[in-house]
Amino acid sequence: MMRLALVWLALLALLAATAASSFVPLGGWNSALNLAIAAVKALLVALFFMHLSSAGALLRLAAVAALLWLALLFGLSWTDYGTRGTSPAPWALRR
Amino acid sequence: MPTTQFDSILERREAAMLGMWLFLATEVLFFGPLFFGYFHSRLASHDAFVAGSHHMHFWLGTINTAVLLTSSFTMALAVQVAQDRGRFLRLLLLASAALGIAFLCIKGYEYASEIPEVARAEGPEQVFYLLYFAMTGLHAIHLTIGAVLVIWTAFISARRAIRVEVLGLYWHFVDAVWLFLYPMFYLLERYSA
Repeated sequence: MMRLALVWLALLALLAATAASSFVPLGGWNSALNLAIAAVKALLVALFFMHLSSAGALLRLAAVAALLWLALLFGLSWTDYGTRGTSPAPWALRR
Repeated sequence: MPTTQFDSILERREAAMLGMWLFLATEVLFFGPLFFGYFHSRLASHDAFVAGSHHMHFWLGTINTAVLLTSSFTMALAVQVAQDRGRFLRLLLLASAALGIAFLCIKGYEYASEIPEVARAEGPEQVFYLLYFAMTGLHAIHLTIGAVLVIWTAFISARRAIRVEVLGLYWHFVDAVWLFLYPMFYLLERYSA
């Protein structure tokens, strides 16, 4: 019970940190910081609320496999969008 | 001697948990393309995204994040209570569902007040709103299903700890998705707003 309450307080503190940091002009680092904080929050939720910290190898593998597939598909999509120009469809050319 | 598909209670429990984790893995890939679309469009038209983000209700979004985090906390407590066969299980489940519904009400109010802005949006800013409504809408649908299942479980099958545990996993997952949506839509260059 105590540990869950501490995790909850940590999550609220991180929320306050991410909200406050968005008022500090850091340029591109604002988004990087916000996403990093979001990742830490999600990790806290996964480890303690979803019990991954005490889960067996099978459940941990299932959780990591999701992120692995997501990374693969992001990577493959990015090779496509990153290396090709976009050509408008023929019917979009007429104006 | 009757035979079952499981050697022990523990194995049965792990099978149920694995089933939910695999479902959540498919959910990650379900949300994934929208996240990819967001990052691609944002890199292509950053300024329009900042302009769109400045039309979001900063305080309502922040309060909503706190509401959802608190609902996850009460859900985590409910799972603990269900495992220990403790008291107040139904109360904790209903509190989680109530916080989830409060989130949906605030979100609904936001949607209603944003519609005039959306109607005025042009060009890449429309892409921002499309992604905003698609991603938060898909999240809201998940939360609605979660709230219905939690209320159902609270009244019908709360005594079976494994049901509460598996439902808790789903609830926390939906919460975790929002943790990413919040900075992506509400916090873009707030200092220049």
